[in-house]
Amino acid sequence: MKEGLSQQEVSWLQQLQQNSEQALAMLMRHYYADLFNYAARFARDESVIKDCIQEVFISLWQRRETAGTILSLRYYLLRAVKNKVLKALYYNDRKTGLDYFRGDYDFFHEFSIERIIIEKQISEENAEKLKRTLEQLTKRQKEVIYLKFYQHLDHGQIAELMSVSRQSVYNLLHETIQKLRSLWHTAFITR
Amino acid sequence: MKDFRLFDITDFVLDEDFIRWVHEKKEEDETFWNNWLRQHPGKHLVIAEARRILESLKTAESPIPDHVVTYEVDRLMQTIRDQHEPTRLTARRRHIWRYAAAAAIAIILTVAGVKYIPFSGKPSTFKVSYASLTAERRLIEKVNTSNTPVHLSLPDGSSIELAPQSRISYAKNFDSVGTRDIYLSGEAFFDVARMPNRPFRVFANNIVTKVLGTSFSIRSFEADTTIQVIVRTGKVSVFTYNENPGKTAADAVSNPDEVILAPNQRLVYEKAAQKFQKVLLENPVMTLSAEADRNMVYDEAPIDKVFDAIAKAYDITIVYDTELLQHCTVTADLRHEPFYRKLDLVCRAIGASYEVIDGQVVIQAGGCD
Repeated sequence: MKEGLSQQEVSWLQQLQQNSEQALAMLMRHYYADLFNYAARFARDESVIKDCIQEVFISLWQRRETAGTILSLRYYLLRAVKNKVLKALYYNDRKTGLDYFRGDYDFFHEFSIERIIIEKQISEENAEKLKRTLEQLTKRQKEVIYLKFYQHLDHGQIAELMSVSRQSVYNLLHETIQKLRSLWHTAFITR
Repeated sequence: MKDFRLFDITDFVLDEDFIRWVHEKKEEDETFWNNWLRQHPGKHLVIAEARRILESLKTAESPIPDHVVTYEVDRLMQTIRDQHEPTRLTARRRHIWRYAAAAAIAIILTVAGVKYIPFSGKPSTFKVSYASLTAERRLIEKVNTSNTPVHLSLPDGSSIELAPQSRISYAKNFDSVGTRDIYLSGEAFFDVARMPNRPFRVFANNIVTKVLGTSFSIRSFEADTTIQVIVRTGKVSVFTYNENPGKTAADAVSNPDEVILAPNQRLVYEKAAQKFQKVLLENPVMTLSAEADRNMVYDEAPIDKVFDAIAKAYDITIVYDTELLQHCTVTADLRHEPFYRKLDLVCRAIGASYEVIDGQVVIQAGGCD
């Protein structure tokens, strides 16, 4: 079995190669929320996002015979969705167009500070500090965090998806963690 | 096996097992970590800090309503069913359709896979025009005002096919100085006589194409937004040229940002963005004799032999993991097939796919047993 694919995914891919529409439907259902949420970080327009996801699954269906070459389904789908959305957003825009190849695209990401305030009962002062720290993160730091902690990609996949080196992925993560460490270190509250 | 005793806070925050425990709070993980903490009581603080950092990074994720997902899944099913052909026709029709899809993918990937070579240094807003390049230089000018291409011979034996509405100019002593310089406005195909110590250079607006002996074409109309260079044989080097007072064209000899262009590659220079983009031609032609094609019948041939033959025949670099594919063999008849069809057949035989990136073909595959 291939690394990075769960038993379930391997079985879906096998069924897909045998022309199972059902497998395609299950795949879409399984990944829909994650793909939508990722795409929503680049684009605000829901209909653009939905159309891009449709196209990604249509091409997966069209290339189903070679689906066996997919090493990680999650990575494959995230990458395809990202490419589709960025292309849809920037392709016809002569001014800013094509800049996304160099990583120059928006990444809208919101942290749920309200939840941590309620769950951990941190002081208003500390919540304010946390909020400021997170707001200061760069677009690319946010994207790395999102791909690492929410999509659970490995560092190699994150690097490829963002067209940066593995070392930069680690650096981006490390910088963020360092910032939070010093924040919590000064304001550490025992539970 | 991981030794968590050696982990510092950052290691924990980045560890998949640790993340799963904090995020998913599964019972088996709870048991594991509580036991571990009991055995290593000194680590409580580190664990607590790592947890806190992970929890700080929680995202506001809006759930997608079930009916939305169901609607989208139905929409997908509808689309793929509409694409189905009537059953009887399948064999042949499907075949063609798949080929068309492969061709379309190749073209799209050519666009998606492009890599930009950004220029270092300050981007200049200078627009170099044919007029400014040729001003104050005593040059011989040839203009094609007709509706058909015109054939021209140069003093050095090189020949030029000058497209309609295009003009070139060159110095009187064109073939007796260090470089053979041509100024172009419009489109032309060049067949350059080989003179290894006298580079042949074409100045077309902001870009300079330098060759030793080769054939290639350049399209550079003032009204176009791009300048394009296509190589037929040999290799050419292309770089930008920014007019500089006190600097003559002859000074623009070397440039760290030069791009080397091989046959079957097309270079597109976007004037506004001042960026180079290297793409493969949509239908690459063989640079070797037809005999190379006649030998392309393979029976259980090792994959490197097949890729080598294709790469040589078209002078296109094919990048793949030799170690990973060392056990792959190909049985196929690739004669008379166009380039992308050849690639397609080989890739299908070994369960691989390819992308065209920066004018090169990159094979992606899982390997063979």
